[in-house]
Amino acid sequence: MAISAAITLTSAAGDLTTNALSLSDSTTLTQAASSTALANTSGLARKTTTTTDQYTLFYADDYTADKAHKLYLKNTSTTPAEFFTVHIDDEKLGLMYAGDWALIPWSATDGTKATFTVTLADTWAVSDTIVFDGVTVTSAATSTTAMIDLIVAAKYPNWTVVETSASVATFTAKSSNYLGLIEEGAASDDFVVTTAGDGTGTVARGETAVASANDIKITPGQAANTIEYALFYE
Amino acid sequence: MATTAAMTLNSDLMTGVLSANASTTMMKAGTSADGLDQMKMGYNKIPTGTSFDLLDATAAGIDKATKVYLCNESTDETYYVTIVIDAKTIGRLYGGDWMFIPWNQDDATHDLEITATGGTNNVTWICFHEGETLGTQAD
Repeated sequence: MAISAAITLTSAAGDLTTNALSLSDSTTLTQAASSTALANTSGLARKTTTTTDQYTLFYADDYTADKAHKLYLKNTSTTPAEFFTVHIDDEKLGLMYAGDWALIPWSATDGTKATFTVTLADTWAVSDTIVFDGVTVTSAATSTTAMIDLIVAAKYPNWTVVETSASVATFTAKSSNYLGLIEEGAASDDFVVTTAGDGTGTVARGETAVASANDIKITPGQAANTIEYALFYE
Repeated sequence: MATTAAMTLNSDLMTGVLSANASTTMMKAGTSADGLDQMKMGYNKIPTGTSFDLLDATAAGIDKATKVYLCNESTDETYYVTIVIDAKTIGRLYGGDWMFIPWNQDDATHDLEITATGGTNNVTWICFHEGETLGTQAD
């Protein structure tokens, strides 16, 4: 498999300079430090914006950092004054006017995802519950081990979870852009434990989130702007 | 005056053909009548270990339609240059890779910086722009 990218820059005699200028270049998009072709693509996509709000095209979290990713972008507008601004996170890379296209290397530098642990202790009863991230987990047995299994088995919209030990589960945010702080302690308003007996669930924060600093964003200069884009990545 | 930039992307990654062609006449910001009429170009050997300003940002380049072409001419696939603008890492160009990007020069910190890794990387670059603030003679 291979992806080829070729560019030709041409300026006729008397245009930019007295003499004609021409440059052609072609490359096969390969993986970092390798002659093996990039093997993944987002596919060629097209998006029409409806507001001048900022849109995120690609989240750095979703890709391995510091590889040889390449991003193709095109402003399909035919109205000369219409443009969108390309941002790498909060950094304004440049303006792309009607018809402009770009092939941009992308480092996809990750942020740090928030983590926390919850430690179950003492006696849990059938029908005791935890509520987190909109998900309610109800105890079906009387052991912390069984409850941890249920907590780990549940699917949370914004978090992943693994069992760290028989009484401890570790949660990791799916996005480094989630910067909220989960309340710590045994009476967390974010991780709500309701027990009939003396069972407890104690939250302790781990990693503090650092937002991804490398998301690909665009900001249209006008509400309606159609953009074509494709990402080739490792 | 006009310069055209054409690109072809072809891939056999998927079962169907993935192909994109794009061609643009590089115009000044917001116009179809006046092409980018200034340019500078160069070929540099970038030694490893130091971040260099390859292109200095200029006040005349704020919110314009500047475009930069840069090719890493290295033939060693493990060599690469890292492109940074205003302390933000944009990406890496490995041996043979090229890029064609818009470049906004918001302020003096928006220089286009380059750092070589692996060994001395040779790069060809062209900047198409619509004006720059030239420094006056100091002495």
